[in-house]
Amino acid sequence: MSESVISVSELTRRFGAATALDSVSVSLPRLVGANGAGKTTLIRHVLGLLRAESGSVRVFGLDPVADPVAVLSRIGYLSEENDLPGWMRVDELMRYSRAFYPAWDDAYAEELRRTFALDRAATIKNLSKGQRARAGLLIALAYRPELLVLDEPSSGLDPIVRRDILGAVIRTIADEGRTVLFSSHLLNEVEEVADHVTMIDHGRVVLSAPLDAIKESHRSLNEAFIAHVGSAATPAAEA
Amino acid sequence: MRSPALAIGWEFRRRHRWGLMAVAGYLFVVAMIRFLILEPGEPVLVDSVRFAALVSVPLTTTFVYLLAVFSFGFAGDLAARHSMYPARMFTLPVTNAALVGWPMLYGTAAVTILWLAARLFAVWPSGIEIPVIWPALLAAALLAWTQALTWMPYGLPGMRLIVAVLCLAALDTVVLLALHFKAGEPRMVAILAPQVPLAYLVARFAVARARRGEVPDWRGMFARPANTAVLTRGRDYFPSPARAQAWFEWRRHGRSLPALVGLLLPFELALLWLAKDAPAFVFEILFLALITPPFMAACTAWTVSEPTPQVRDSYGVPPFIATRPLTSAELIAAKLKMAMWSTLAAWLLVLVAMTLALEWSGTWSVVTERARRTNDAIGTPRAATVVLLILAGFIVATWKQLVQSLHIGLTGREWIVKGSVLITLTLLILLGPIVEWIIDSPSVQRALWNALPLILGILVGIKMSAAAWIATRLDRSRLLGDRALVAGAACWVLAVLALYGVLVWFFSTPFVAHYQLALIAILAVPLARISAAPLALAWNRHR
Repeated sequence: MSESVISVSELTRRFGAATALDSVSVSLPRLVGANGAGKTTLIRHVLGLLRAESGSVRVFGLDPVADPVAVLSRIGYLSEENDLPGWMRVDELMRYSRAFYPAWDDAYAEELRRTFALDRAATIKNLSKGQRARAGLLIALAYRPELLVLDEPSSGLDPIVRRDILGAVIRTIADEGRTVLFSSHLLNEVEEVADHVTMIDHGRVVLSAPLDAIKESHRSLNEAFIAHVGSAATPAAEA
Repeated sequence: MRSPALAIGWEFRRRHRWGLMAVAGYLFVVAMIRFLILEPGEPVLVDSVRFAALVSVPLTTTFVYLLAVFSFGFAGDLAARHSMYPARMFTLPVTNAALVGWPMLYGTAAVTILWLAARLFAVWPSGIEIPVIWPALLAAALLAWTQALTWMPYGLPGMRLIVAVLCLAALDTVVLLALHFKAGEPRMVAILAPQVPLAYLVARFAVARARRGEVPDWRGMFARPANTAVLTRGRDYFPSPARAQAWFEWRRHGRSLPALVGLLLPFELALLWLAKDAPAFVFEILFLALITPPFMAACTAWTVSEPTPQVRDSYGVPPFIATRPLTSAELIAAKLKMAMWSTLAAWLLVLVAMTLALEWSGTWSVVTERARRTNDAIGTPRAATVVLLILAGFIVATWKQLVQSLHIGLTGREWIVKGSVLITLTLLILLGPIVEWIIDSPSVQRALWNALPLILGILVGIKMSAAAWIATRLDRSRLLGDRALVAGAACWVLAVLALYGVLVWFFSTPFVAHYQLALIAILAVPLARISAAPLALAWNRHR
C-alpha cells in the first residue's frame, strides 16, 4: 500500500466560526476520530468537494479540485448519505456508472451483483437501506479503483450488510493490494482492516502510528481512542 | 410555551422577525406621511407613479413576502414533487387540522392586518372609495389557496408552479370580472368568503397525504419510449461518459417540460372547436398554444438546476453527481443537451397537436386563408421566413428559458437563489407601473426612442464585459480549454451574424439603422449567462 496515495499538508478549514480542520498534515489512509472531529470534512477534501482554504491536498500527486477527472476516475466512493438516484433501476445504475470508468469489469460487476443478491430490475428507491448500500458498494468496486473511500458506509446497517462491506474491503486490500479509506463508528471493524492509524480530534491530529504499535501501548484501538480523544466522545474511526 | 399553536406561531415570528419588522417599519413610515406631513382634510392628489412607489408596489411586495412566509416557501422547493410543508413537523404530536389550521390562521390574520393597516395609514388618492372587507378576504383567499396548493404533493416536478399559477390566476380573473360588472361589497364577500374554508379542506387533504408519504410519481409514464429510443438505443452501453450524463439529465429533468405541455395542450386546443364560428379567436388560441412551451419552460427551469432532495444541504451538488469523473463544463454540457432534447420533444408535441386540432376542428381553412393573404401581401419567401423565424424564435426562447437561470441555481448558495427570486419578483411588480408610465407619456416614449441606440450600446457593453470576465475566469480555472473557448466564441459570432443577416433582410427600413440591428442580434443570442454556468457549478462542487 502506497503511503503517498493521499497527502494532506497544513490543511485548515473553517465553517463560519467553527474550525473543522486545523493545520492537519497527514498521509492517509488510516484515520480515527470522534464525531465532529473532521473526518468527513477531510474525505470531502480528498474527493475535491471542498477546496483547501489553506494548505494543500494531493491525491495520486494531483490536486482533486484542479484535476477532478484524473482523480475521481481512480477513486471508488461510497457516500455516507447514500444518495444513489432513487428512480434508477439496478441495471441502469450499472450501465450508467460503467460509462465513466474505462476499467469497469463487467464480469466482476455481475459477480458482485449476484453476491449481493441485487435484482437487476429493482428500482433503487424500492431497495432496503442495506441493499442500497450494497448497490453503492457495487458501483464503487466494479472498476477496481486504486483508492476506495468509504465514508461511514455501515452506519445504521444490519450485521450482514456490514459483513459484506467489510469483506469487500478486506478483499480489496488483501487480494488486490489497493488503498482503502474507511470511515466507521465501529472500531473493532477498523482493527480488522487497518495497519496504520491516525487519530484526529477537533480538527487536529492527536496520534499517528502503526496499528500494532498502538495495540502494544494501549492494548486496543478503543483504549487508544479513549486515551487520546476522551471517553465522552462517541467512537468513530477511519482506517 | 405549552401549546402547539404558540410554538408554531413563535417559529414564524422568530424565523422571520427581521422581515416582519421591515413590514411594520413600512407601515409606520406611510402612517407618518399620512398623519404628520399631510394636512387633515387636505385633498390628496398622487399620480400613478407616486402611488405605485408609495403604496401598490410595497404593498404587493409585502403580500408576496407574507405568502412565502406562511406557506413555508422559504424552506421548500417549489419545483419538487413532494409537499412544501416541512417534513420535520409531520412527526409532531398534533392533528392534521392543527398543522394546517394554525399557519393558515396566522397567515390570514397577517394579511388582514396588512390590508386594514394599509387602508388606514396609506396615502390613497382623494375621491376614491376604498373597500374595507373584500380586499382582505381576497388576500386571505389567495394565501389559503397558495398554502393548499404548495403543500400538495404532485406527480411531476414543476407541476406545483403551474397548478398554483393557473388556480390563483383563475381566482384573480373572477374578482376582476366581478369588478368589471361593478359588483358591490356584499357580492364580493359572497364570492370570496367560501374560498378560505374550501382551501382549508384542500390543504388538510394535502398535508394528510404528505404526512402519510403519499407522493404520486407520474414520471415513469414518459420514461420508456424516450429513454430507450432517443438516448440509449435499447440495452446498449453508453458510448461515452457524456452520453451517459445526458441520459441521466434527461431522465431527471428532460421529460417534465413535454409532459406539462402535453397536459395543457388538449385544454387549450379544445377551444378551437368553440372558435369555429369566430375566426379571429383561432389565432389567439394558436398563440396561446405557441407560448405554452416557453411559459412552461420558465416554470420548470428551476428543476434543471435542482439538487437531489435527500441531500442534507439542499442547494449543494449531490455527492453522487459531484464525484462523477467529469469536468464541471461536461456536466453543464449534459444539461444543455438535455434542455435541447426536452425543447424539441415539447415542440414536436405542439406542432403535431396543433395540426391535428386544426384539421379535426375544421379551422384549418382559417389558417390557410390567412397564409394565402400574407403570401399575396409580402411574397412567399418573406412569408415563409416570417413563419420559420417565429417558430425558431419560440423554440430558442423555450430552450433559453430552461437554461438561462442555471448560473443562479447551480451556485448552491441559498442567498443567491432567494435573492434572485426576490429581485425577479420585484422587477415583475415594477414592470406594470413602468409600462403604464411609458404608455401614458408621449414625451417619455420620444426620449426612449432617441436614447435607444445608447441603451442598446450600454446593454451590449455590459453583456460583452460580463462575457469577457467569464471567459477569463473559465480559462484561468481550466474549466474550458483554449480550443473549446475559441470554438464557443466562433459559434456565437456565427449565430449573431446569421441573425443580423436575417434582421437586415427583413427590416429594410430607414427608421432602424443597421448597427442597431447588430446590437439587437448581439443581445438576442445567449452568451454570458450560459457561459457562467460551469463557473457556478464549479463554485458549488468544490466549496
